[in-house]
Amino acid sequence: MSTEAVQPGADQPEQRRIGVYICHCGGNISDYVDVNAVREALAEEPGVVVSESPVFACSDGTQHDMIDAIHDQHLDGLVVASCSPKLHQVTFRNVAKRADLNQYAYTQVNVREQASWAHPHDRAGATEKAIGLVRAGVAKTRLSDPLEPLVVKTEPRTLVVGGGIAGLRAAIGLADLGIAVVLVEREAELGGWTGRFGPTFPDNRLGSDEVDELVEQIRGRRDITVYTRAELTGKAGSFGNYDVQLTLHREGSDKLLEVRVGSIIVATGFDSYAPDEGEYGYGMDGVLTLPEFKAMVDAAPSGPLTVNGRPVRSIGYIYCVGSRQEAPGNEYCSKFCCTATVHASLQVAALDPSIRQFHVYRDIRAYGRNELLFNESRDKGSTYLKFADDNPPAVSKLANGTLGLTVTDLLTESREVMLPVDLVVLVTGMVPRQNTSLVELLKLPLGSDGFFNEIHPKLRPVETVVDGVMIAGCCQSPRTVGESVAAGLAAVAQSAALLKKGFAELEPLVARVDPDKCTGSGACLTTCPYEAITSIQWEGRTIASVDPATCKGCGGCVPLCEQDAIDLLGYTDAQMRAAIEELVAAQPQKEPVA
Amino acid sequence: MDYDVLVIGSGIGGMESSIKLADMGYRVLLVEKEASVGGRMILLSKVFPTLDCASCISGPKMSSTVNHPNITSKTFSEVESIRRTEDGRFVATIREKAKFVDWAACTGCDMCQKACTVAVPDQFNANLAARRAAYIAFPQAVPKKAVLQREGTSPCIGACPAGIKAHGYVSLVRSGKYEEAFQLVLDATPLVGTLGRACYAPCESECTRAKLEGPVPIRLIKRFAADRHYESADGSPAVEVAEANGRKIAIIGSGPAGLTAAWQLARKGYAVTILEKRDQPGGYLRHAIPAYRLPHDVVDADIANLTALGVEIRCNAPVTDPEALKAEGYDAVILATGTQVATRMDVPGEDASGSVNGLDFLAAVANGQAPDLSGKRVVVVGGGNVAMDAARVSLRLGAAEAKVAYRRTRAEMPAHHVESKDAEAEGAVFELLVAPTEVIVADGKVTGVRMQKMQLGAPDASGRRSPEPIPGSDYVIDCDLVISTIGMSPDPTPFATLADRRGRISVDSKTLQTAVPYLFAAGDVTAGATDITRAIGSGRRAAHMVDRWLNDQPLDGFTALDDRLETISQDSVLARQTAFGHRHPVNGEVSLQKFPRDFSEIEAPLTIDQARAGAGSCLDCGVCSECQQCVQACPAFAIKMDQRDKLTELHVGAVVVATGHKLFAADLKPEYGFGKFANVITGMQMDRLLAPTRPFNTVLRPGDGKVPDRIAYISCTGSRDKTVGNPLCSKFCCMYSIKQNQLIMGALPLADVTMHYMDMRAAGKRYEEFYTQARDMGAQYIKGRVSRIVEEPNGDLLVRYEDIEGGGGIVEASYDLVVLAVGIQPNREVERLFGETPLGLDEYYYVAEPSAEISPGQTTIPGVFVAGTASGAKDIVDTILHAGAAVAQVAAHLEHQHFTEEVMA
Repeated sequence: MSTEAVQPGADQPEQRRIGVYICHCGGNISDYVDVNAVREALAEEPGVVVSESPVFACSDGTQHDMIDAIHDQHLDGLVVASCSPKLHQVTFRNVAKRADLNQYAYTQVNVREQASWAHPHDRAGATEKAIGLVRAGVAKTRLSDPLEPLVVKTEPRTLVVGGGIAGLRAAIGLADLGIAVVLVEREAELGGWTGRFGPTFPDNRLGSDEVDELVEQIRGRRDITVYTRAELTGKAGSFGNYDVQLTLHREGSDKLLEVRVGSIIVATGFDSYAPDEGEYGYGMDGVLTLPEFKAMVDAAPSGPLTVNGRPVRSIGYIYCVGSRQEAPGNEYCSKFCCTATVHASLQVAALDPSIRQFHVYRDIRAYGRNELLFNESRDKGSTYLKFADDNPPAVSKLANGTLGLTVTDLLTESREVMLPVDLVVLVTGMVPRQNTSLVELLKLPLGSDGFFNEIHPKLRPVETVVDGVMIAGCCQSPRTVGESVAAGLAAVAQSAALLKKGFAELEPLVARVDPDKCTGSGACLTTCPYEAITSIQWEGRTIASVDPATCKGCGGCVPLCEQDAIDLLGYTDAQMRAAIEELVAAQPQKEPVA
Repeated sequence: MDYDVLVIGSGIGGMESSIKLADMGYRVLLVEKEASVGGRMILLSKVFPTLDCASCISGPKMSSTVNHPNITSKTFSEVESIRRTEDGRFVATIREKAKFVDWAACTGCDMCQKACTVAVPDQFNANLAARRAAYIAFPQAVPKKAVLQREGTSPCIGACPAGIKAHGYVSLVRSGKYEEAFQLVLDATPLVGTLGRACYAPCESECTRAKLEGPVPIRLIKRFAADRHYESADGSPAVEVAEANGRKIAIIGSGPAGLTAAWQLARKGYAVTILEKRDQPGGYLRHAIPAYRLPHDVVDADIANLTALGVEIRCNAPVTDPEALKAEGYDAVILATGTQVATRMDVPGEDASGSVNGLDFLAAVANGQAPDLSGKRVVVVGGGNVAMDAARVSLRLGAAEAKVAYRRTRAEMPAHHVESKDAEAEGAVFELLVAPTEVIVADGKVTGVRMQKMQLGAPDASGRRSPEPIPGSDYVIDCDLVISTIGMSPDPTPFATLADRRGRISVDSKTLQTAVPYLFAAGDVTAGATDITRAIGSGRRAAHMVDRWLNDQPLDGFTALDDRLETISQDSVLARQTAFGHRHPVNGEVSLQKFPRDFSEIEAPLTIDQARAGAGSCLDCGVCSECQQCVQACPAFAIKMDQRDKLTELHVGAVVVATGHKLFAADLKPEYGFGKFANVITGMQMDRLLAPTRPFNTVLRPGDGKVPDRIAYISCTGSRDKTVGNPLCSKFCCMYSIKQNQLIMGALPLADVTMHYMDMRAAGKRYEEFYTQARDMGAQYIKGRVSRIVEEPNGDLLVRYEDIEGGGGIVEASYDLVVLAVGIQPNREVERLFGETPLGLDEYYYVAEPSAEISPGQTTIPGVFVAGTASGAKDIVDTILHAGAAVAQVAAHLEHQHFTEEVMA
């Protein structure tokens, strides 16, 4: 492995030839940071032979300019000061690769989030900070050593966590591509929410039928192994070769199973919002949540609809229960519930067109083609009443035992109306499922809404910051059946793109032990959360050794070594010290233009 | 199989599909109809809900797309058709549209764009600004290469038998490039001043502007450019000349064909000698066209272009033995002697004194041997242009009476209408339906012409009705001079063996080569009497062919006339105009007086203002004007006007349709005034106004450039609206409006932003939070539809709307700028793709997905998948996931295909 040959910072490097690009990012940076001042300041830095400020560093044109500069100016280092490395580190590493420059001689400096967006009202200060940050990036780059990615063979097998519609479809999609699948489902039955549904939109097929068909297909696939009443309980290794531990809950005792997989798709779904007791009358006889109502309608024979033995002659729907509000519930919109409710109301109309239906809503979000269902429901007699965000409806028990739904209707000149109804449906949305152990195990990032977070909704929409761990379906955000399936298949495509090559390139930014300095104190051994450090015998002595494929480069071991025998490749002590020195150095000689 | 997958369209859905498939190891062919990949997203400002720059997301994807080793991207190409073969694969016919730029050489330097003289609405700026006919799609284009937009040959150019690029020099004059305009004509012929006066301008008859207020004054614009050049001409060569190649050419005749051929050959380095039998050069330009139409100094100036290059014109040098020329060392000879023989009337008395033919009469006047016709009565026999010239010259020589006797009616007269009209205005009198039977002579002098009255009979071969004599209708017109102008023909001596029975030299019409290989013939000597433009065209052709012949090249490649794009129809030019500015036609001023007495030029030149205003009325029919400025400006010599569309058939295993959508055409909601009220714009236009690559440096309203303070949004423009046939919701308009609301409040902190909405459809991850954020920033959201917009005199807009939450009343509010949140329309180009077994569409013409829930992206044709908005409204995030779904299924299809194949094998 070529990392072995590298002696980081062993000798003082000769003068480097570094190219620096300060991106305008359209105006995201240049509106708040004087990029020309940054460029001029950097041009004077030792070792900087190119200093440019393109409008879009990531554009194809600028990428070509960089490649030309690397060739023509014989650059051996590249620094782009632009956005977060999450966005474009890969982009510019690829530029370096295309120009035959070692990709680890590239450093991304984030002046967008850290200078321009952080200090939008202080141009001089933001500029000064940007100069410091870029100088630090240059200092780090000056001491960079060429590194090669660790190439590991990958296991052509994917673990799918969750046997709902997204997980089932993903499993088939993977098997179609020749990737073996292990699917674990916590419940005894496959199918999740959809498997319990009657008709779904837009295809109007029974959710249970859709699931049955997928399960039937899976049965015929030898390359899909399904474990129900099973959970993911352990994970070791790294992308391409995860050793996962499955716990099978079996009569009497749990059984443990170890499987090696290349990647993991998490499709653990959602929970339905559970209203508080008394929230819009929840708990009263005849007040149901959307899933409860859907189950009731799906289960109804050809009519009439009854609740607790009473015939239902009228229904009131209260939308956005638990959604689009600060408390109780959630700020976010659950996206699917408007259309799901409209769709269910059409089922009711089909059962018995004489049932009166009142929809008490804020905005009907029947987006796209779903608008047709919304139109149809009105054609079939549904009445829509809109309430103001700050004036929600109320549910009461009427003397005759039915329910009273009181609403101030914006659509009829804000008149207060009281609708006597037999049934009140609380249109509840989706909430993130409590999966604490899974989150901790996989180190899955959560968004502010509690759902799993992708790296970037447009650039890497199914990937998480954990390499090889993808998310799909409603565990990521509320969505419909079709959208969940699309996300599941997108995760299939992403997973296959990674695994079909047969090998993966891992970051070589790992800890390394200097055997001459190591005294074998063992202080580092216990700190490693990945168990990447072991004791070995070397020239008659016991020293520590890091397995580069297991090491995640977290750096946790580095400061613990009293002998300073551990360094982190790509982020060596010397590099970090040089970067920090630049950051704390005197003010830039040149006053930035305010 | 050429490629595993064909992806049609390189918007975000197409790029995502291509990159993912390529990452999986499949070979992808990506076809994009525009010159750059990227679709619509790259044109946006920022994208919701993260407010990332659209460029920062799209730009790197565009770069990855074109640089990916497994992706072949064909931009500026279209899929013509796709056929499914029996084995379940596809044969796609790809049209690589002519770019007229060699992309291998183009560096994207922008010089062509800067040099281009034609401006058209910039579709990449939502028509808010103009771009050039030579253009790079947009600054972030990938690949960054130029394209020339050529919709066809402009009708004016297509009409010119000389192959002169009328649109080009009109466009140059419009741009103030007068010398360049002159040079463009000079590239075809040295006779720029001549054409500016004596050309019958077939270009103007075809001018599309003629269908509106009147044609562009093309001929006078050329004269303007010529006059301007000659004012400062100093006798030095006006063009660069190739180094002498040591070869000699003889050209017999110095009319327009001979002069033009000499010009072209001299520029190529040939030593050219013109042999002219008369004592002055110019042929009929000097000897037939009277000086009041074409002054002799103009002919001299044109000929001086030629002599400045060293062309020798030997006058009084009739050729009697062409073989002797060969012996003298001439490598080739071009015969361009025109039509020297006047057709005889064949009536008694024709040869008497006082009876002349028009050619001799006009030549004598041109040579200073004009007879004194004071008080004389003149009869001109014939109805062509020469007849008119003879009559008008007679009047200038003092004739008391000039009668033009013609055997048919005015309608059949071969003279151009303007000529006969002007002749009449100067005092000529027409005797119609008469034919001469005798020139009456007394005492050896003409005293009159006996005429026979005629009537029109059945149409002859030319379609004109033949005149038939009316028996016994003779009468005599008394006169002192009879001038016969009833036709002319070539004089084939001494080449009689090469001539046909009409005396015309026989040539191959494409090569102009005679039966004697070194002898070529050009102009009227091959075709009979035509006109200057045809002679020039023929002269150019002869020069080209002689050059080819002497270099042992095949006699072809005369692109100026033989390889023009099809002429664009006037109707299609008129149809593509969104608005016409009324242009007062610029007409030349001709001073006509009865019985004129001098030969001074009767037509006034255009002033500089007239020339530019006249040129400014050009509609740029073919878009590219062929002005050649880009050709000269391109440092890479990449402009290739002879490039043509190329069709290729390719075999692919699967197809991804990612053809995207169109935006609703907002003028279909006339009550909102889009296209009529300058300050009503679309959401796409606002996105351009906000983008980092925006056309102006701020958000402004197009009507007067004012920075708006009060901005209204009208949601659901063209969506959820049965009145326009679209009940569907477009999904992304609420969100892009909210995004723009936020960006406007950032760009214009004092502006008020109000959105009139039906339902705020902020449905998606972090969308509701984004909406809340906009409200917190101060954007106003009013529920209720807008029924009408009225424009106020200052350009402000009175918006009439329902305020549902405010009590439901009808309210009017004034805004500076109104943004119509237009939605999505299907891109119906997909309908033709699959020919006779078309792709299934839903009832709203989006690509149907039979199993939208379980197999999103699957279509009605096995092996064909759809990604993105081609199957219905989606925002960018949904499009990317949808593309991912399509990719997984494409890959499954291909794997199955490979597997089946292996099993079968």
